[in-house]
Amino acid sequence: MSGDLGGAGLSGLAVNAELAWVLVGLGLAVVMVQRRTLAIGLVTAQALVLVGLALGHARGPEEYVAAGALALRAVGLATVFLLLIARTRDPRPSSAGMAPLRRGGLAVALALALTWLVPTIGLASRDAERAVLGLAAFGLLTAATRPATLFQVLGVVLVENGLALAALELPGTSWLIELGVAFDLILIALVAGVFHERIFAEFGAGDTAALRSLRDGP
Amino acid sequence: MIDRVYLAEASIVVPALIACLIWCLPRGWVERAALAGGVVTGGLALVVAGVALADPGHPQVGGWIALDAAAGLLIAVIAVVGLVSVLVSPAYLAANTSTLVGEPRRRSTYYVVFFAFWSSLLAVPLAGNLGAAWLLIEATTAASALLVGFSGRARALEAGWKYLILTSLGLGVALLGIVLLAAGVPGGGLGALSWRALPSYASGAPSGLIAYLLLLAGLAAKIGWAPVHNWLPDAHSEAPAPVSAMLSAALLPAVLLVAWRCSQGMAPVIGASAAQGVLIGFGLASVAVAVPFLSRPMAWKRLLAYSSLEHMGVIALGIGFGTPLAMAGVAVHIVAHAIAKSLGFVMVTPLLAHEPLAARQAVAGIGRTRPALGAGIGVCLGTLSGLPPSPLFVSELLIIAGGFQAGRPWVAAVATLLLALAFLGLIRALIDTIAGTAPWREATRLPGLRGASALAAVSVVSLLTIAGGSAWLPASALVQAFLKGVS
Repeated sequence: MSGDLGGAGLSGLAVNAELAWVLVGLGLAVVMVQRRTLAIGLVTAQALVLVGLALGHARGPEEYVAAGALALRAVGLATVFLLLIARTRDPRPSSAGMAPLRRGGLAVALALALTWLVPTIGLASRDAERAVLGLAAFGLLTAATRPATLFQVLGVVLVENGLALAALELPGTSWLIELGVAFDLILIALVAGVFHERIFAEFGAGDTAALRSLRDGP
Repeated sequence: MIDRVYLAEASIVVPALIACLIWCLPRGWVERAALAGGVVTGGLALVVAGVALADPGHPQVGGWIALDAAAGLLIAVIAVVGLVSVLVSPAYLAANTSTLVGEPRRRSTYYVVFFAFWSSLLAVPLAGNLGAAWLLIEATTAASALLVGFSGRARALEAGWKYLILTSLGLGVALLGIVLLAAGVPGGGLGALSWRALPSYASGAPSGLIAYLLLLAGLAAKIGWAPVHNWLPDAHSEAPAPVSAMLSAALLPAVLLVAWRCSQGMAPVIGASAAQGVLIGFGLASVAVAVPFLSRPMAWKRLLAYSSLEHMGVIALGIGFGTPLAMAGVAVHIVAHAIAKSLGFVMVTPLLAHEPLAARQAVAGIGRTRPALGAGIGVCLGTLSGLPPSPLFVSELLIIAGGFQAGRPWVAAVATLLLALAFLGLIRALIDTIAGTAPWREATRLPGLRGASALAAVSVVSLLTIAGGSAWLPASALVQAFLKGVS
């Protein structure tokens, strides 16, 4: 595969370039779509691609544990998010904050800036490095520009999906990071779910545009 | 003799078990079990801290547990702040009935989440490697976010949500830095992320610097360093007062310790000057951002929150200077700040009963209308402002002197100016809050005032003792151990 770099003497497993760009494409779609269910589907598809990659790379029990953790995370998060949507049906679509094309343009610009600013980071393939930085950029932008509470959590998930991809290329440490990320994301999603439901009950919408009372001014 | 590592592990496991126990108990037993559990957890953690601090020259560093002098100091702070917070929680829960969960499980949910938070927080300074530290910090986020929004009020939900999302994103950025570090340390596995392995990072200084910057930028979001501090004033002002004390006095410095360890581990790779320069940058920015807010009339808890921003900045400066004088200042600052901030947040319950407007705006003349309440607030503000003989005056002096000792006179000069401005702002708040004009108020029984007054008395003795004893610190084995770190 083109762009293989190796990493600090480790025998990193280079992620297939096409799959890396599929992950990026799914991430960009999350930035641009309007419907929450569609965004959840895209993030889950992304997580399942990561599961496939993890299983493809697995050589020993630890790697299979990591793949299992990723699979559990993908299914667990999708279940939590879909349950939340079922329990908190918005009477009107939450405000998008910014036009989809503008969001997409900004996301691509941020991703390009990140890949330009951050040189080689030591993963096994340059494509994977770019995909990781791209997903981090898309996640940050989603959380920053989407007022809907669920989209903000999906922004966090996007960032961590990128990190899971990076961890796949780190033999030895990978399973620990995968387990940690899986545990962390499910915990955060559950707490975010509690907040989402209460915000919905309090304001009639899962929309952070309503959360504007805490300001100190310049 | 019990192994130090077992003791350290017990100090993490016991509060987690107490959380489970409280969940299973009938309602009538919850508060008693929580108070007893608080005493047990606090006592055990203090033993661990005592063991670490008694022998600072011989840290115990393994793959999972690192028990050194710095961890001992932080464990002592978390133990005392946690214990105080548990002891004053019944008064908070009695005075505030609104809640995120249904009334039948209100108290048990509060204590279960509190002990889970305390357990994960105690584990942060003890984490033997960066990966575990990151995971534990994220665990503190999940637990403490629930506590921040515990009242279920709109403003608390906003604060809790902001805290959850901003710190999770920040920790995501930090995790990217960890992944980069793991890629560059030979060997792989858990050992690649241990504190002692960080100096063997082999992918070169430029990528090491990027990993370090990502790591610190992510941790900064959790520590509340400017410019990524936006959640801090909201979370500290909207959380239940005992939880605010934990967040401000214990959580922020505990996460700061992780940043400190990263700085020590990466200094041989990227250069001590670069590693310390980043900390100094965050420190100066935090103090500079805090100053204008400290100079304006502000609700009590919000004022304390901005004071946290200032003091985390001061500690960052001390660690950044990294000289014996500065490190002595850091040690004094962490402890004295924790005492003053705990006292300040403990005063909240009686203050709000006396003057409900204090929740939303600055109040005046508390010393005239309720002298006992005013005395506690006065001790807190006097200490936080650095008014002599406050130990924070001594620590700031040590840190500034450490800046000159480190050959950074311009940074020390700018820091002096900013600290002087912060001092003036807090002194004005002190005078207004204690001696300003106040409407007459009927003398009613204030919930939590007796405990708060007792804590104020203990705090005064402790603070004066620390101020008096800080003179010997720069040449002590403790400071030498701080400088050495876990390497």
